[in-house]
Amino acid sequence: MGQIKAGSIAKGTFLLEKDIPYIVVEREFVSPGKGSAFARLKLKNLRTGAVLKVTHKTQDIVEEIDVEDVNSQFLYADGESYHFMNADTYDQYEIPMVSMEDMQYFLREGESYKVVRWGDESLDIKLPPKMDLIVTEAEEAVKGDTVQGATKYVKVETGLTVKVPIFIKEGEKIRINVETKEYQERVNS
Amino acid sequence: MNPSFKKIKTRAALMTGIRQFFTERHFLEVETPLLSPHLIPESSIENFASSLISPYKGNTPLYLTPSPEIWMKQLLAQGSGDLFQICKSFRNNEQFSPVHNPEFTMLEWYKTGINAEQNIRICEELVSSLVLPETPQSCRPPFREMTMEEAFREFAGFSLEENMDSPSLFWQLEKAGIPAEKEESWEVLFHKLFLTLVEPELPSDRPLVLKDYPSRLATLAADKAGTPWSDRWELYMDGTEIANCYTEETDLEKIRTYYDQEGREKEKQALVSVTASSSWVEGMKNFPSCSGTAVGVDRLIAALLGDKSIQGVILFPLDAILPEAKNS
Repeated sequence: MGQIKAGSIAKGTFLLEKDIPYIVVEREFVSPGKGSAFARLKLKNLRTGAVLKVTHKTQDIVEEIDVEDVNSQFLYADGESYHFMNADTYDQYEIPMVSMEDMQYFLREGESYKVVRWGDESLDIKLPPKMDLIVTEAEEAVKGDTVQGATKYVKVETGLTVKVPIFIKEGEKIRINVETKEYQERVNS
Repeated sequence: MNPSFKKIKTRAALMTGIRQFFTERHFLEVETPLLSPHLIPESSIENFASSLISPYKGNTPLYLTPSPEIWMKQLLAQGSGDLFQICKSFRNNEQFSPVHNPEFTMLEWYKTGINAEQNIRICEELVSSLVLPETPQSCRPPFREMTMEEAFREFAGFSLEENMDSPSLFWQLEKAGIPAEKEESWEVLFHKLFLTLVEPELPSDRPLVLKDYPSRLATLAADKAGTPWSDRWELYMDGTEIANCYTEETDLEKIRTYYDQEGREKEKQALVSVTASSSWVEGMKNFPSCSGTAVGVDRLIAALLGDKSIQGVILFPLDAILPEAKNS
């Protein structure tokens, strides 16, 4: 267990509040007109998905969880949990889907991801900031549609629907920003 | 034209508008030192230190002023009458954020013979005079006014006035599941509640004047006699603090006590230690009853343009020109 000053907390830091593991989803430093500076945090309970809002003095000591990133293969999702397998030990990990449902759009069976482990508990899955996914459903562009910046919706292999430029075709690979779930560019392969 | 120049042009026009507004109302524009051997010790502010190098005067520490307040107050005490100033102000060791730059433009005005409540109208007229075609509804007057007590009742679910002591505030924090220690100072307990439960929920469909702060928060604002509140307000636009206004404290003993307390507090925790000038309290002997307002001009301009960030309305923001600046 590490102790850190609240002033060093960043988005994505894993914290323990009253023995419950949380991840910091929003962090803002506030200096009210007078007095100490504060870190205003929005935390996500990694067991239930519930959101907790707290404010610490930036000088306060908080418990940071020493987590370990373990390379693991994504096996499947069963509606309640994501199932992974440790690539080295073959141990299986289960991560509750609650409040992480959107992650399924970036998990491909058989592919390797980093599972965030704390003791015997799997807390989170680390996704890369961008992922290349294949377009599996796309309407043909309407001929003569030359409007600048025209867009349409396509579906990619993981089931995610994305707004893309009109020229994207089925079977092409596109790069998606994982956090915003937005199209970034076409990937030539 | 580069689109960012368009904003800088708008900024120039707004600066002219601000000067015109106050000049028409017979406020005197002044320019006071930005480099000063003494500062008002404020425990929440970290300062920039520099030094004078002089073969004649010796080397003397100098500090960049975090606001022009003290010099303007000295002028008021010397009988200047109503004043305004637009100047750069400097605050160290703050986060880099869309609404922070270590060097920023501040507008400060003082009007004699009025209180903070009456100063709301001047601020509202100022903002009205500056509204742009693109200014969103949320940043256009009329202002909405709310007292701290009303805000606590509505968003924290309890009366602040009836829970003003530390044990009650601690109990309210426990109830809300916000981690806190019993031994923490009153200010910390209050701010934990205010910043977690109240401030993020303040209505933002119109500019909001949040007024009547607890007088236990040590400031140079005068108390509202017979109440637990001090006569001060802050203006929020779209959730961002834009302005801060006091009915200025005129009681010299209270001012001296404030300097002493904040000075001690600052010595304990500040990285850059500063002291008030021993002559300042004396110099305020004839300080008139007045109300002063400080406005973050970059934030105001961004709000009027409908921007969430001041980066577009200031030229060369520091974290863009610092080679290794990190968003901390």
